[in-house]
Amino acid sequence: MTDRAPGVAGDPPIIAFESVTYAYPESAAPALREIDWRVAPGEFVTITGPSGSGKSTLLRCLNGLTPHFSGGTFDGAVTVAGHDTRRYTPRALARVTGFVFQDPEAQFVTSRVDDELAFGMEQLGVPPLTMRKRVEEVLDLLGIAALRDREIATLSGGERQRVAVAAALALQPEILALDEPTSQLDPWGAEEVLAALTRLNDDLGLTIVLAEHRLERVVSHADRLTLLDRAGHIASEGRPRDVLAGADPAILPALLALGRQLDWQPLPLTVKEGRAAQRRDAAVGRLPAPAPPDPPAATGPAIVALQRVSAGWGQRKVLREIDLEVRPGELVALMGRNGSGKTTLLRLVAGLHRPASGRVLLEGADTARLHPADIAQTTGYLPQNPSALFFAETLRDELAFTLKHKRGAVADPEVTLAALGLAHALERNPRDLSGGERERAALAAVLVGAPRVLLLDEPTRGMDAARKRALATTLAQLREEGVAILLATHDVELVAEVATRVVLIGDGRVVADGGPRAVLSGSLTFATAINKLYGGGFLTPDDILAGFGRDRWAGSDSIRADLARDDRITPHRMR
Amino acid sequence: MREPSRPLDPRAWLVWATAASVPPLVGRNPWPLLATLCAVLGVWGVWSAGAAGARWRPLLRLALLFGAVSVLFNLLTAHVGDLVIAELPEGWPIVGGPLTLNALIYGLLSAIAILSLVAVSATLGATLDWSVAIRLLPERMAPLAVAGSVAWSYLPRTTVALTEIREAQMARGYRPRGLRDAGPLVMPLLAGGLERAMITAEALEARAFGVPLSAEARPRSWQAALLLAGIVAALTGIFCVALGQMLAGAALLALALATLAAGLLSGRPAKGALRRTRYRDPVWERPEWIVSGVSAAVLAVQITLLVLDPAAFRYEPYPSLTAPAIDLPLLAALGFLLAPAAVRP
Repeated sequence: MTDRAPGVAGDPPIIAFESVTYAYPESAAPALREIDWRVAPGEFVTITGPSGSGKSTLLRCLNGLTPHFSGGTFDGAVTVAGHDTRRYTPRALARVTGFVFQDPEAQFVTSRVDDELAFGMEQLGVPPLTMRKRVEEVLDLLGIAALRDREIATLSGGERQRVAVAAALALQPEILALDEPTSQLDPWGAEEVLAALTRLNDDLGLTIVLAEHRLERVVSHADRLTLLDRAGHIASEGRPRDVLAGADPAILPALLALGRQLDWQPLPLTVKEGRAAQRRDAAVGRLPAPAPPDPPAATGPAIVALQRVSAGWGQRKVLREIDLEVRPGELVALMGRNGSGKTTLLRLVAGLHRPASGRVLLEGADTARLHPADIAQTTGYLPQNPSALFFAETLRDELAFTLKHKRGAVADPEVTLAALGLAHALERNPRDLSGGERERAALAAVLVGAPRVLLLDEPTRGMDAARKRALATTLAQLREEGVAILLATHDVELVAEVATRVVLIGDGRVVADGGPRAVLSGSLTFATAINKLYGGGFLTPDDILAGFGRDRWAGSDSIRADLARDDRITPHRMR
Repeated sequence: MREPSRPLDPRAWLVWATAASVPPLVGRNPWPLLATLCAVLGVWGVWSAGAAGARWRPLLRLALLFGAVSVLFNLLTAHVGDLVIAELPEGWPIVGGPLTLNALIYGLLSAIAILSLVAVSATLGATLDWSVAIRLLPERMAPLAVAGSVAWSYLPRTTVALTEIREAQMARGYRPRGLRDAGPLVMPLLAGGLERAMITAEALEARAFGVPLSAEARPRSWQAALLLAGIVAALTGIFCVALGQMLAGAALLALALATLAAGLLSGRPAKGALRRTRYRDPVWERPEWIVSGVSAAVLAVQITLLVLDPAAFRYEPYPSLTAPAIDLPLLAALGFLLAPAAVRP
C-alpha cells in the first residue's frame, strides 16, 4: 500500500548530476538546464515529461553518449559509480551502465539472438564459460530461452525489445538505463519486461533508470519519479505518489486521475490500491450509476470491406478468412498480441499487401485492381515506423509532397500542423524532431491529404500523455466529419476513449468484434484500469465521474488549453 | 556427418570466394567467366534457400540491371572495333558514331564479370555467419571486422528501406514510373542510411565495442609500420597482377602475406592482458576440409596459369574480334568451384 522503498537511500549516490546544462550542436536552447540530480544505489527511477523535454538526453548522460558522441555544449558534471563521464568514453562506461535504446532494432549488431547477447561480453573479454552461463541467465530472466537460436530478423517487435534488454543485462552493469522500453510492446510483453526489471532491482540491487511516457505501466514499479518540463528543468521529483499528487492533470494515468477527482487518500498507484479505495467508497454507499451501453453500431454502406481475406508473408499465414466492414464515422480499434496481424490488415486496406485469397473492397472497388497511389486518394496510412514517411528537407515540403499527389479536397498544412502541436516545426527537417514529434509530423503528412479512410499503426508510440489526449480529440473530430478510422494499437486507455468499435485479432482471426464496453469490459488483458476496479461497462475516469453526476475530468480541457497556448492557436477543426 | 542446418565455417567460404573472384577480376576471357558464373550460380541455387537468400535476391536483380546498363553504355560510347553493326549521327554528343559488335561483346563480358562478383557476394551474404567470421579474425582486426559486418548488413537493410520508402510514397499518392523517378528515392535512402549508421555507431559505443586493451597489448609503432607495409605491398601486388606483371605481383603478394602475419602475430596481447573472447568455438569438419581444400587447389591452378599463361584469362575484342583462347585444364578446375553445392546435405 506504500511506495516501493527506495533502494539504499543515504548511501553515496551511484549517479550524481552537478549543475548539468547541455545544448546539442547548432541548437540555441539547451536540452537540459541546471540539472542537479542524484540516484542512490539500487533505486528504480522513472523519468517522465513531455516530448522533447530531455528525457533521452538525460539518459544518454549516464553512459557518456552525451556529450562524447553527440557533441554540443556540456556544463557541469555527471558521475556514475564514481566515474566522471567527461573523462570516460561510452565504451569504457559500458561496464557500468547498460543502455537500451528506443528502437531496439537499430542497436543489434549480429544476426542471432545468443550472439547478440554475447557481443558486449566478448568485447570486454569475459571468459567463455562465464559468458555462456550469463547468456543462459539472461535468457531465462527475460523469458526468451526459446529464442536463443533464432535469427533476430524473424523476431516480433516485443521479442526484439526483450532481446535488447537481455543484451544490456548480460554485461551485468551496475546501472541499467532504458529509453521507453515498453513503447513497442503489447500489455503482456510490457508486463514481462517490467517484472523482470523489478526482479533485477529487488534481488540484485541493480540501479534502474527508465524514461517512459506510459506512467500507468511503470509508476507502480518505481521508487522515485523525476518529472522534466519542456524547458529541460527538473519540474519535480520524489516518491511517485507525492509527485503525481501535485502534478499537472494532463500527465496523469487514468487511475490516478480518477483518484485525484474522487479525493482518494492515499492516491492509488496500482489497481490493487485503487480497488481498496473503491471498496471503501462502496462501503459508504458511494457507487456510480450504471454506465450507459455502447451506442448502436453504425449502419449504412461500408467504405472498407474485407471479405474472407487471408494473407501472409511467404509461407506464413498471418490473417485467416477475415470478414470486416468499416463505415464512415466509425473508429475501429484493432487489438491483439504483437504479431497477431494488425499491421498486415492495415497494409491490405492501403493496397501495400495483396491478399492470398478473398477481396478487399474500398468504396466498393476491389483494391487488387487499383494501384496503391490510387488507393491513397481515399486512404491515409501512417506506418509503424514514421521515419519511412519522410523524404523532404522541411516539414513544409513534406506536407507539400502529399498535397502535390492528392486529387480532390485537402486540408490546410499550417492548420494541420498547429492542431498537432507542430506549428513551430514548419521549417525544420522532420528527421531532426524528437520521437513523439516525428510521430505527429508523420500523422500531419497523412492528415493534410484529408483522407476519408485513415489507417493508423501504433500512432501513440513515444507520444506523451498530453499529446495523446490531443490526438484523441483530433480523431474524434475526424470521426464526426465522417472519416472512417482503423487504429491498430496496444493502448487500451486510448481505445476506451476514442473507439466506437473494437476488433480483437488472435491467431489471424477476428475473435471479438463489438462496442468498446462490450469487448474490453471484463477482459483479462484488455480491460482498462478503471474497468478492473468498477467492472460493468465503465472504461474511463469520465464514465465514473458521469456515474457520480460530476463534470468530466478537468485534465482534457487543461491539456487542450496548454497545447493551444504552446502553439498560439485555438483548437479548431482542421478542415 | 553434420546436421542439415549447420552453415559452413566462414574460412571455407572465404577461400571459395577468393577462388571464384579471380576470373572476373583478372580478365575478360568469356570461357572462364562463363564457367565461373555457372559454378557460382549453382552454389547460390543450392545454398540460398530461406529468408537469408530472399534478402540477397534483390541484389542479384540489381546486378542484372547494372549489367544491362553496362552493355548499353559500352555499346553507345565505345566507338571502336572492326565490326560495325549500326551508325548514329556524328553530331550527337558522346553516343554519336559507329556502334560496333566489339563494344557490344566487351559490354556483355563486363556484365558477366559484374554478375559473377555480385553472385559471389550474395552467396557469402546469404551463407556466411558474420558473428562467427568476426570471432575468427585476429584480435587486432576485430574493430575493422565489426565495422565490415555492420556495413555488410546494410545491403539487405537498404533494400528493405527502399521498399519502405516506395510504399510510403505510394501511400501518399505518388506513383513511381521507373528510373526517371529514382531521384525522390535516393535522398531519403541516403538520409535514412546515415541516420541508421549513427544509431548503430552509438549502440556499438554503448556496448563496449573497441574498448581499449591493456597497456601491454597496445601496438608499438613498428608493429603498426609492419601492418601498413603489408597493406601497401598487397595493394601494389594486386595492381601489378592487374597490369600483367605476374612475377612482381606474386612476389609482392607473398611479401604482403609475410609482413601482415608478422605484424598481426607480434601484436598479440601479453599474458594477463585483457583480450576479447569468443562465445562460440568454430566448427571445422569434413565439409570445410573439402570446400577449402578444393577451392585452394583451384586458386593455386589459377595463380600458376596467371604466371605461366595469362592469355587463359585474358581477351580483348578490340580492335578486331577474334576467338578467345580455350584452356581446358582451367575450365575443368573452375568446375570444382561447385564443391560447396556438393557438400550441402
